[in-house]
Amino acid sequence: MLKLASLLKATAAGSAQIEAYEIDLVRPNRRIRNLVVNACRLDDGDKDRIRILLAVTDVTDVRAEARIKDDLVREKAILLQEIQHRVANSLQIIASVLMQSARKVQSEEVRGHLHNAHHRVMSIAAVQKQLSTSPGGTVDISRYLTQLCDSLGASMIAEPERLSISVKADDASVTAKISVSLGLIVTELVINALKHAFPDQTTGAIKVAYDASGGDWTLSVTDDGIGMPTGSNAPKAGLGTGIVEALTRNLECDLETRGASPGTCVTIRHLGDIDHHEDIRPAA
Amino acid sequence: MKNGRAVVLVVEDTAIIRMGAIHLVESAGYEALEACDADEAIQLLEARGDIDLAFTDVQMPGTMDGIKLAHYIRDRWPPVKLLVASGMAIIEESSLPTGSLFSAKPYGEREIVDKMIRLLDDDDRSFAKIEE
Repeated sequence: MLKLASLLKATAAGSAQIEAYEIDLVRPNRRIRNLVVNACRLDDGDKDRIRILLAVTDVTDVRAEARIKDDLVREKAILLQEIQHRVANSLQIIASVLMQSARKVQSEEVRGHLHNAHHRVMSIAAVQKQLSTSPGGTVDISRYLTQLCDSLGASMIAEPERLSISVKADDASVTAKISVSLGLIVTELVINALKHAFPDQTTGAIKVAYDASGGDWTLSVTDDGIGMPTGSNAPKAGLGTGIVEALTRNLECDLETRGASPGTCVTIRHLGDIDHHEDIRPAA
Repeated sequence: MKNGRAVVLVVEDTAIIRMGAIHLVESAGYEALEACDADEAIQLLEARGDIDLAFTDVQMPGTMDGIKLAHYIRDRWPPVKLLVASGMAIIEESSLPTGSLFSAKPYGEREIVDKMIRLLDDDDRSFAKIEE
């Protein structure tokens, strides 16, 4: 209070001005109140009677509310982190079980299916990783597809000097829901190309591309392998094909598979009035 | 090292993930030891002098989490290499001892094997250099 008194004197003398000076008002048997003091000398031309304009605001309740709000925000951040951690751990359990099963089974075919299931889980996990590091609930599609294809390549390609996967994607952010679908489609198509497109070629390249303009976007996976067998040689559609078709329908896209001479090109095209980019409405 | 093979200590509280990690370490050609928390890990490190690398989870019950354990190991057994995995997508690199590597869960098997090879082969990461 002595400091305030000296500040007020200085204000009256015109050598200081008090701005947002905080004091705690302590009274016996009453709660401490937080006060904010503002004071300035009134320059009304009367030099003999100096007047000071003094404003005292009680900010105790406002401060308490702000503190509660801060606590809630912090609590929410901690909870969110806890959930992300749990999701990551659960996905790790699923991934571990699938890989251990794959190691134990005798049948080469079953092992292949288990590995594919593992890839699908990891592709969804990659979305989760991106989401936990990006604010706003959207996924940077270029970063996501690159990470996804790197990890598919690392686990599926035994001779990286023979086979390669490259990603070229426009700068775009998509919702978590859409990125999960795009990731699963790319996973299926890349697995399929690695499995069937290059039986005896010395080298092979798989190119994943995502082009976006406005609400329209095109996702394509192209390989320079042997192309698709036709007629009676055509294999029966597997689970992978089913997943790609169902997700494409869900995204309201056209699916086109054509020969790329050499190789095969699968294109998923979305012509939309619905703009999925930067759409951060919560999922229904 | 034991019989010419590097010894890797897996520290993970979730049993199924621990099992997976053990298989992963063994299939990479290393000898695996397991601990379900930091205290058990420290007991093992005290009991045997042949552990080359500790591969630890972060969030674990017990007196220390994985980050504290990593620092404890670096402090007490400087030559032991450190690989830390967590469900947190990013752990501040600065919160881990110098020279340790981090993987976000769920990790791919290839990723972990590559990182173990890097840690175990890389002489630049030896404690002598890090202590400078």
